[in-house]
Amino acid sequence: MNRFDLLNKIQNILKDNLVICNIGLPSQELYKINDQPNFFYMLGSMGLSSSIGLGLSLSQNKNVISIDGDGSVLMNMNTLATIGNRAPSNYTLLIIDNGSYGSTGDQRTFTDENTSLKDVAIGAGCKNVVECSGDETVNALNKAIDDKDNSYVIISKINSGNVKIDPIPINPITIRDRFRKFIGIVKYL
Amino acid sequence: MKISKKIIDNLKKGGVDFYLSVPCKLLANMIDILENDKDVYYSAVPREEEGMGICAGAYLGNKFPCIMMQNTGIGNSVNAIVSLLQLYQMPVVFLISYRGTPGEPVGAQGGMAKITEDILQTLRIPMLHCSSDNDLEKISTFSKHAKVVESPVAILCDFNLMKDDT
Repeated sequence: MNRFDLLNKIQNILKDNLVICNIGLPSQELYKINDQPNFFYMLGSMGLSSSIGLGLSLSQNKNVISIDGDGSVLMNMNTLATIGNRAPSNYTLLIIDNGSYGSTGDQRTFTDENTSLKDVAIGAGCKNVVECSGDETVNALNKAIDDKDNSYVIISKINSGNVKIDPIPINPITIRDRFRKFIGIVKYL
Repeated sequence: MKISKKIIDNLKKGGVDFYLSVPCKLLANMIDILENDKDVYYSAVPREEEGMGICAGAYLGNKFPCIMMQNTGIGNSVNAIVSLLQLYQMPVVFLISYRGTPGEPVGAQGGMAKITEDILQTLRIPMLHCSSDNDLEKISTFSKHAKVVESPVAILCDFNLMKDDT
């Protein structure tokens, strides 16, 4: 199972929640599978999906799923400490761990060598850390969303590999405004 | 404490209700005030770039965020500012302790001080430079301005302004 297959499998869960999606192929694949106004596609700032989702979950009550990658979390590893100390119960971090930098040509990351993001997350203070296969991710996500008392970090181990895909054709302000409108914010000033 | 209280009061008057900080001794009093303020959200954050991401999410969730940090933090955050906050036009207040300005005892802080305003200017971030007590009243209007222009803005607080605020 690769990232595209996994996103296909979990799309029905994602569409009912606020989703922050990592820059590059993850966002492009999710856009192609089932674009929704409650999906915030990152067009820059690699590494910050988990952080954007954390800020969002601290600011309103709806469930938030941050879709991140192993390469991106390795770039912003302090995020796991902040999540371990501050994440509210409506927050779920889904790390799609394919052991490679998918958007830049599938170079190997350190999770394909010695690094375990599960161990890092536990060491950083995250309480509900689940490492699972791609097939088990639906159940893990459902459990995280149904649990109203705890935040979760799910590390979904899948194969590397990408599908051929186009850049997202909507502009950042549209992504921003339709997302905020979905939450119920129509007055900006 | 008087200066720090005035800064926080003016930020709150400007609508800021979500605060993060990467600590600085010049920000210590403000952090104390915020930790005891039940009306706003406050948390420490390990790194400024990460804080920019959390601020972006807070804005999406209808908060008006501020990140407090040393000017060195701007150097850690340039890509997040440009390709997140500015790309999506998100108002965020940067409350910056301006290390390396006159009065600073640590020589090594001078390097970032020399280029801080150049970086902010290159990024086209509106700046409010506070060097005396009188400047602090401008903070509330300046913060509201961030929302009007949908942009991050920077408030620079000089070393000498903050150093005696015990």
